Amino acid sequence: METQKGVVELVSERVWKFFSSVKLAVVLLIVLAIVSIIGTVIQQNQPVEQYLQEYSPATVNIFEFLGFFDMYHSWWFVLLLFLFTANLTVCTLERFPRALSAIRAPLKPIDDEALKAVPFKKELQFKGGADKAEARAVQALQSRRYRFLSTSSPGMVQLYSQKGAYSRLGVYITHISIILIFVGALTGAFFGFKGFLNLGEGEHSQVVYLRNEPMWDKLMSVLGVSKSSVIQDPQSGVARLPLGFFIRCNDFEVDYYQGPSGPTGMPSEYHSELTVFNLQGAKIFDKRIEVNDPLKYRGITFYQSSYGTIPGVNGKIVLNVRPKSGESKGEMVVLDPGGEAYVRSIDRTIKALGVSAFGARHTSTGEIRFFQSRNDELVNPTVGLEIYQGKKALYTTTVLKVDQGEPYMPEGYVISYVDYWGARYTGLQVTRDPGVWIVYTGFLLLCIGPIYAFFGSHQKLWIRIQDRKGQAVVTVAATANRNRLALERQVNALVEELSK
Amino acid sequence: MDSSTFFTFATLFYLAAMILYISFLIFKKEAVGMAASGVTYAGLAIQTLALALRWIESYKLGIGRVPLSNLYESLVFFTWSTVLIYLIVEYRYKTRAFGAFVMPVAFLALAFINVADISADISPLVPALQSNWLLYHVLMSFIGYALFAVAFAVSVLYLLMDTEDRGPTGNLYLALGVIASVVALGYILTGMGAKVVFWLGVGVLLLAWFTYLVVAGARNRSQVYLFWSFCIALVAGMLLFMGLDYVLFQGRHLPAEETFKKHMFESTFLSSSRAVAVLCWAGVLAIFYVVWSQGLKLRTLLKQFLPSPEHLDDLTYRMIAIGWLLFGVGGLAMGAVWANSAWGTYWSWDPKETWSLITWFIYSLYLHARFVRGWKGTQMAVISAVGFMGVIFTYLGVNLVLSGLHSYGGL
Ligand code: HEM
Repeated sequence: METQKGVVELVSERVWKFFSSVKLAVVLLIVLAIVSIIGTVIQQNQPVEQYLQEYSPATVNIFEFLGFFDMYHSWWFVLLLFLFTANLTVCTLERFPRALSAIRAPLKPIDDEALKAVPFKKELQFKGGADKAEARAVQALQSRRYRFLSTSSPGMVQLYSQKGAYSRLGVYITHISIILIFVGALTGAFFGFKGFLNLGEGEHSQVVYLRNEPMWDKLMSVLGVSKSSVIQDPQSGVARLPLGFFIRCNDFEVDYYQGPSGPTGMPSEYHSELTVFNLQGAKIFDKRIEVNDPLKYRGITFYQSSYGTIPGVNGKIVLNVRPKSGESKGEMVVLDPGGEAYVRSIDRTIKALGVSAFGARHTSTGEIRFFQSRNDELVNPTVGLEIYQGKKALYTTTVLKVDQGEPYMPEGYVISYVDYWGARYTGLQVTRDPGVWIVYTGFLLLCIGPIYAFFGSHQKLWIRIQDRKGQAVVTVAATANRNRLALERQVNALVEELSK
Repeated sequence: MDSSTFFTFATLFYLAAMILYISFLIFKKEAVGMAASGVTYAGLAIQTLALALRWIESYKLGIGRVPLSNLYESLVFFTWSTVLIYLIVEYRYKTRAFGAFVMPVAFLALAFINVADISADISPLVPALQSNWLLYHVLMSFIGYALFAVAFAVSVLYLLMDTEDRGPTGNLYLALGVIASVVALGYILTGMGAKVVFWLGVGVLLLAWFTYLVVAGARNRSQVYLFWSFCIALVAGMLLFMGLDYVLFQGRHLPAEETFKKHMFESTFLSSSRAVAVLCWAGVLAIFYVVWSQGLKLRTLLKQFLPSPEHLDDLTYRMIAIGWLLFGVGGLAMGAVWANSAWGTYWSWDPKETWSLITWFIYSLYLHARFVRGWKGTQMAVISAVGFMGVIFTYLGVNLVLSGLHSYGGL
């Protein structure tokens, strides 16, 4: 009975067919590869002025229209990615049932007709008769760890075996991994955001500045379903997103690699001491973050990404004063550059003459050399001090963050450098990406799938032993869906063993 | 003794191996072949020792990091993995025919490091690179690169064996003419500030040719012949001129990374002297000419040594399958995981990432063409060679060409 197909079925059938074509996959792979090049040739996401320096205004207009300046997020590129994924998904769904039935199908003995169609087979005469031949074959199969079945009919025994059926799944695992990566990326774009936050030492914030707004929020607010929590700032054009908690930078430090005469100018690590507070101002936890070791809270991650000096702001010099003898940890003294403070425990006034960004003490002469650093990075902050008793200047000395020698400390206490605090900000990259675990699952499957796909193969092996007047004729036939050469090597070795 | 002494020993062993493998091809004495293999094993052992020593040295300097993160180390490691893979192939396929091709590359690369006095200092790592992912990422990508290089060499040999017919000499002159005019046009357009147009044009031209080869390669043999000559001339020319450039260019006293990223080819192709640039291009054309016209002799010579074309095809597939997997997992996925742990984005479409992806797509295409459409032989070898050009571009071109395209800021 023939039923009339509706338009919907017809169309969906067509669409399915279109997407199940491997030709489309090849075309899409090539097209994706080619158009991806455009975005590497034209720099992405630069300010317009820079493009105008590079190209004529007409070209800039055309490129702008085509979305070439942010190509990987342009609608047509995303559409191509969608098509590719749809293609992959349909292709996989279409073939999967067939693969499954190929895996499940029980192996049967082979008949003469089917044997003819097997391209790889060997035949040999076995002297000792059929029973002996069978014993030998069984032994050979067992020593190779083949699990096999056997059937016998008059004048013929068949041993047959298959292995690696599940390797047929390898391709699907691989394809699913690519689909997962794509789904994960989409999830991230819809429900995640990317932003940044520059926090001065001692400052806190409850918002971050967005580079990419979550698409879902945008969509919902455009549709009027719900209001986006993003705060638009028409003046700067940078949108802010409330975090729902406070983040504070207590301290920021850069460590430098040490050379033979003090620190080199090469940073070995940046770190920020961060504290998370709830909106009521109660402290939740502290964490010291580094590059490669971020802070995570409520799905939001803070990465150490950069740092800088806050223009026009002077920091505070933090010193430690403790007695030369005894276990005492001493006390902290905080000074402005050029300022002074009376320290009761030692009955002295300490005056900070100023801070230099990079000093080093000569190990033998004790002389301090000051280096001009190219920017105002505090490679090895060095503070000149003048010590007073009342109004009377006693001596001057210099303390350094990293000191190869000993600062001059004639009296019964030691002053040491602790920090130059408050003049710098830490640059944090802030993201929320709920899709990342989907992507990582995809990566994991990508490690596994291809191994099965490439190195496994579904092999089938038949050994037919026919009795011909007391002589046995042994036929070995084998098929594999992949790695034919390997199969041939194995079967040749087997045949050699049988004919010995 | 320090690691660099051992590297020098390894270089000498590879030189000996190269001479032995070539003598083996010419004199066909089994004993010479055995000696060649023996010397190569010894060279690899020495180089392995040197790598281990360098690793230990970095700990002694208080830096403690994998010897895999500057130009010096990457060249050394590239050589090491190429020789290793070669020896595995030699063992598995029982043929010494490739040695005469692989060992010169290994020797030249190591010798180049010595001649060019590329800085062997063990420099510390910037914070973003201090991650265990660096080890896995770089290690796997490099082995991937090396596998693709071997696949490339084998597919070029396949193509060489594949074609007896190189067509009329007119083909060669046409090709030389095209190269000469494209280059001239390049200089003119660059002078006019239209570099982008030029490179896009070159890209389109190459793509059209590659597509033609893949579609019609099995039929039009003389184009295939031209193609492999082009491949050999490209790689040989590039290696030669890179070496020359290092020797000539004062910039080699700059930190190696800097030279490599910003000043490559400045004393040869990009020399401010017209005469030098013209001479260099004449050199490229000459290499192309020689390769093209001597190819058939090479073919006759090699024919008796090489495994059957079917084996070459299979070998290419194996190298690509493993390389594709390592590069996909190590280069793309682990690179992404690392980027995410350091910066909070696993993929940012920067040119290096994008080109890696493009290269990986080309090899994905190879795998699908083979398994789904059942392609074999010539077309596969062409795709493999094109894939390797993607590798070269990812490794060098992104720094050389792309960063040169933008008047403002490098990459
Ligand atoms: C970048 C994305 C892709 C990757 C990484 C990928 C990976 C693979 C791998 C590793 C194989 C196994 C090759 C082998 O048999 O040894 C394979 C086979 C295959 N792929 Fe893909 N693939 C991708 C995209 C696609 C797409 C878009 C299609 C859709 C048409 C497709 C269709 C197939 C088919 C039909 C097979 C053969 C399955 C079989 O042997 O039964 N692939 N793919």
